[in-house]
Order: sequence, then structure tokens, then C-alpha cells
Amino acid sequence: MGLQREIIAPKDPALGVPRNLDLPLSPAIRAGAFVFVSGLVAIDPAGERMHGTVATETRQILAAMTQVLEAAGSSLEKVVKANVLIYSMLEYNNMNEVYREFFPVDPPARTVCGAQLSGGSKVEIECIALA
Amino acid sequence: MSRRLSRSVIEPLNPKLNVSRNANLPHSPGVRVGDYIFLSGMGPVDPKTGGRNLGPIAGQIRQTLSNMAHMLESAGSGLDRVLKINIVLADIADYDEMNRVWREFFPADPPARTTCALQLSNGNGVEIECIALGGSNVADGG
Amino acid sequence: MREIIAAPAPGLDLRHHYGHHQTVAVRAGGLIFCSGMVAVNPDTGEREHGTVTSEARRIFENLKLLLESAGSSLDRLVQVHAMIYDRIEYDVLNRLYRQFVPNAPPARTVMSVQIEAGFKVMLDVIAAA
Repeated sequence: MGLQREIIAPKDPALGVPRNLDLPLSPAIRAGAFVFVSGLVAIDPAGERMHGTVATETRQILAAMTQVLEAAGSSLEKVVKANVLIYSMLEYNNMNEVYREFFPVDPPARTVCGAQLSGGSKVEIECIALA
Repeated sequence: MSRRLSRSVIEPLNPKLNVSRNANLPHSPGVRVGDYIFLSGMGPVDPKTGGRNLGPIAGQIRQTLSNMAHMLESAGSGLDRVLKINIVLADIADYDEMNRVWREFFPADPPARTTCALQLSNGNGVEIECIALGGSNVADGG
Repeated sequence: MREIIAAPAPGLDLRHHYGHHQTVAVRAGGLIFCSGMVAVNPDTGEREHGTVTSEARRIFENLKLLLESAGSSLDRLVQVHAMIYDRIEYDVLNRLYRQFVPNAPPARTVMSVQIEAGFKVMLDVIAAA
């Protein structure tokens, strides 16, 4: 019997980022030992793309990621790898200072790099977590 | 201590799509490890000639995703078993167009995805990689 | 469960040296997920800026040390994001890269991105444990 994959739908509809932004992707997929979380950008409580500072966007993204992972039966503590894309590496510290609040103990492996993001977002974060 | 997962290389049944070999590049088209398949980044290669299939971005993305389907099917998997896709565009302005084509391939229950824009080679407008589940009829490698 | 893999040499602990809020590698589900690796001296942690060749060589040497300390090896790499500061260095990267993964190389995507501290290369990898 092969493994199946399962689409994760977070409880808070505002976190249905893909639906709200009319984006055709699932926030997360669980399969086997892992949960794969799509790159998340900052959205406001109404579900619209939120443009803020790197710090506020990072905070909003990680709060949303918490909820997405919990909907998958996982959690931030179970994240094994995070990939952070920032529009400019000059803003690294602004991201890192907020990021560390969400992973206080034994943070996951991480790669951070500068790339061009969609919709004017300054930060995008994806991750792989244990299911 | 659990058993080590076995690791093996995946190649496309259509040799024209084996860019790793044809361009003598130091990667495998894909690697199977345990229940998972990791594919190398793929571009719009023409499955008949092995050459690049450039042109409007929509066509490039369609070609790349079709090639990805072939690669996965060669390994006993398929697009419906994709877990996570990373899409790299040469131009972020192509984002909306990319989403339109994407829906053709993933009309329901799409995988997780991250998109960004980076420099690409050879005039490619897109490069796509993915993580997928191995085939349902293949024994767990680990 | 996920397992933190300690840096096998003090210089590889980027959290300690540079405040990067990350663990050098995590083992889970039979795989090893490594944080993005840049060219640092494995003993001192000093940044070793250089050419794409010298930086990539140092990264692979550090990666070999890390994976072997965790019971894995370069042969068990499954996915690499090879990040370079400019795609023009693609061929230079390849020449060095193939020396370290000569047989049945891992899946790879080359990504030209902005890397920290002006480095020219970063490798972001997943290996089988």
C-alpha cells in the first residue's frame, strides 16, 4: 500500500491564502513523515496580501505558519528546515530578530537568500516539518 | 536506530529529456530516497529534439510541467503525487501567466509551492523542481 | 522525532559565530536537512571569501565533514540547491562541483540569488541519513 498525500486546510479562512489571493496552491501537504508548507507571504486578517516592513511581514508569516502546521497536526517545534527568501539581504537582521522569537529552542536548519518575490512581498518563508 | 533509506537515481524513459546526461551536467534527473522523489530543476526542453523550447512563457511552462509529468511517470509516480514544487521565473512579471498555466495541470488539490524570480540560463523563462511521493506500487525503499 | 545534529567542528556553528538563528543540520524521517552552507573555516568560523571555486571547495569539504559526522556522506546527497551570486559562474561551479559528486550525483537546481556577507556560493542540501 503506497503512501498518500493529504492537503492541509487551516481552520482560519483568512489563512486560506491561496483561496483569498486566488492562488492555485495548497498551503501545506502532508505525506509520510513530513509536512511540506508552501512559501507563505504576509496576509492581513481579511486575507489580503499585506505589505509592511521585513519585521512585520516576517512576524505575520510565522504566525500564519504556526496555524498551518497545527492544522496538519504538526507545530513550529517540529520544523526541520525553513527556507527564507527576502527581497534584499540588507534586511537580514530585521528578519532574523523576529524569526528567533518563533523558534526559541533548537531552531530548525535554515537557508536564507535574496530573491525577487511576487506581488511586492518582502519576505516569503516555506518549510518542511515532521508530521 | 532505524534502517537506512535506500537511494537510487531516476532517469526519464525518453532519453531526450535526460538533460543531466545530454549536457554532461553533474546532477541526476532525479533521486529516489525512501518514499520520496527529488527532481532536479527542469526547463522547457523539447521532448522530440532535446533542444530548448523557448517562446512565450505559457508554452515554456506547459512544456516544463509536461516533462516533469514524464519524469515522474518514468519512476512510477505522477503529477498527482507531487508534494512541493519550486518555480523559478526569469521575470516575476510572468507570475500571473504562470498561475494560469499551472491551473491547467493542477485543477484541484494542487501541491505546496513556492515561486520567486532569479536569473536563469540560456534564455529560459522558467525552471521547476519538485519533491514527490514515489509510486504507490513500488515497495518502500527504506 | 527530529534530532539536532551538532556542528562537528566549532567553526561550522554559524549560530554561535554570526547569530544565525539556525541549527547546522537536523535529522528526521531518514533524511538530513542542512542549513545553507557558506565558506567558513571549520575551526575558527572565519569567513573565507574567494572565487567560486575556492568557496565551493571549502563548502564541500565542510559538508563532507558534517555528513560523515552524522553517519551519512556526500554520496548520499539527494537534493542540492546550488546558490551562486551570478549565473555567469555556472560553468566554473560545475567544474568544481563534479569533483565532489562524481557518481550518481544528487538532484540539483542552480539558483542565482543574493547570498549573505557577499559570498559567491552557498549550498543548501538534503541528504539521506
